[in-house]
Amino acid sequence: MHTAIRKWSLSRILTLLLLTAGAAIVLVPLLWTVSTSLKTPAEVFQDSFFPKTWKWGNYRDAVTAVPFFLFLKNTVLILIPVMIGTVFTSALCAYGFARFKFKGKRWLFLVLLATMMLPGQVTMIPMFIMFKEAGWVDTFLPLIVPSFFGGGAFNIFLIRQFMRGIPRDLDEAAYMDGANRWSIFTRIMLPLSKPPLIAVSIFTFMGVWNDFQGPLIYLNSNEKYTLALGLSMFKGLYNVEWNMLMAATVLIMLPAIIVFFFLQKYFIEGISLSSAMKG
Amino acid sequence: MRNSRSERAGYLFILPWFLGLLLFTLGPMLFSFVLSFSKWDIITGIGSIEFVGLDNFKAIFHDELFYQSLKVTFIFALVSVPLYQIVSLLIALLLNMRTRGMKLFRLIYFMPSVIPAVAVSMMWIMIFNPEYGILNRALGWFGIQGPAWLQDPSYALGALIVMGIWGVGNTIIIYLSGLQGVPEELHEAAQLDGAGSIRRFFSVTMPMISPTIFFNLIMGIIGGFQYFTQAFVMTNGGPLNSTLFYNLYLYNKAFVNYEMGYASALSWILFAIILFFTLIVIRSSSMWVYYNGDDDRD
Repeated sequence: MHTAIRKWSLSRILTLLLLTAGAAIVLVPLLWTVSTSLKTPAEVFQDSFFPKTWKWGNYRDAVTAVPFFLFLKNTVLILIPVMIGTVFTSALCAYGFARFKFKGKRWLFLVLLATMMLPGQVTMIPMFIMFKEAGWVDTFLPLIVPSFFGGGAFNIFLIRQFMRGIPRDLDEAAYMDGANRWSIFTRIMLPLSKPPLIAVSIFTFMGVWNDFQGPLIYLNSNEKYTLALGLSMFKGLYNVEWNMLMAATVLIMLPAIIVFFFLQKYFIEGISLSSAMKG
Repeated sequence: MRNSRSERAGYLFILPWFLGLLLFTLGPMLFSFVLSFSKWDIITGIGSIEFVGLDNFKAIFHDELFYQSLKVTFIFALVSVPLYQIVSLLIALLLNMRTRGMKLFRLIYFMPSVIPAVAVSMMWIMIFNPEYGILNRALGWFGIQGPAWLQDPSYALGALIVMGIWGVGNTIIIYLSGLQGVPEELHEAAQLDGAGSIRRFFSVTMPMISPTIFFNLIMGIIGGFQYFTQAFVMTNGGPLNSTLFYNLYLYNKAFVNYEMGYASALSWILFAIILFFTLIVIRSSSMWVYYNGDDDRD
């Protein structure tokens, strides 16, 4: 018995050591980014890890060197409608697939699964042409409107899997009591489907906040840029110093990290949910 | 519940997706298919689309940059997919042990995968800087003169692969939830039968989490072929096209050179490659993926 306990604690110490080393590898680049963002331009090239004096002014300079708040506003103006469209329409379609019997349903659901395999590059060019013909290039519409059409096959799948697990007795009892499909959807299915709906919301937030190729293709004029696109353009400016660039980088990282810290439970649940797709 | 009213309601609920399928998937696919057999520069109107038969595909098979981009993408996928899977699985195994403080470690390891790719790219441009980047400074402590990383054609792709290890948090979480789904009784039973921890890993854990490995493998391959932001922001395909990822080349053809027909042909080749690899993994999965009696019938 003694050896068993000793072995156990040795492996525990080893585990903790390895995990700490790994955590350092994860954290050091982030800390270095933050520390660089607080240095003077001259200090950036010196060997010290931490700044001598913390120059918070770099942040003020960074948000004025590029129209940071305009980019933020643009990002939010895209984010809000996309989140509404995605969550609402993917839940609608998920309900349709989870609870109704109709001709061709199996086949349609297979098509839905198949579209998850389709790389976006195939539809990227024709969609661009389509939106260009519609006069939507250099507006937010190409980035927003598609989200109102089912909000992505993967999201529908995720919510549908969850809704299938909700006992049918609940909605059938309500149906017998005279509730119509719509009120069953809004009063029973939506409130009970919170976990996947939150997961979809988080993924959508992250998707929009991160999206680079979409805005790159559709937004041409500087004043329409999102934060992600704006940051990459920031790099191209000849007079930009490293400390300011890193300050802007930190500012873009922060909201994502904050959302993550507050909603970590849902994040991890959401990812676990999504990997449980063995259908 | 099967009656015509219920049927109609079902159709109504899935209508948004169905319209989206027609408008944003099937329609564009058809258009893209036609375009891949055409020559068109988009600047002149749709009327000037010129049908050229197989010319785009013929030209692609003689295009040196096409082969270069395939090479870059394949090297990246072949190295990064197994590498990231092994690293993630190892970290997930460590994180799965029951000790205090695990929650904090999980948070730390997962954090990089929520950071926008552009911000990650900016950060690593600075880390990889040959003179004052933190990586070469750290190597300097051991007397190693680090390479110029992103400016050196023989290191740039490797640098991007190394950077990717930093962001495997997502995969770690997926493995972790897979590991947590392994019933404790199986481990205990194996232990009673005298199986050591390594034997238990290969005989109990591996078969039980094989669906997770399968899922991650497919996502990893697809991800490699769609790699874009980091390559665009950090190296823009350079130096000497050493990081010209397939997706980046496709983007350049479509939105820099405006060769819409050629780029559409490239996108169908990409689709074929992804489909091919996905099917291989799916086909072979019956040999090594174990499903715990979980089927998904309607």
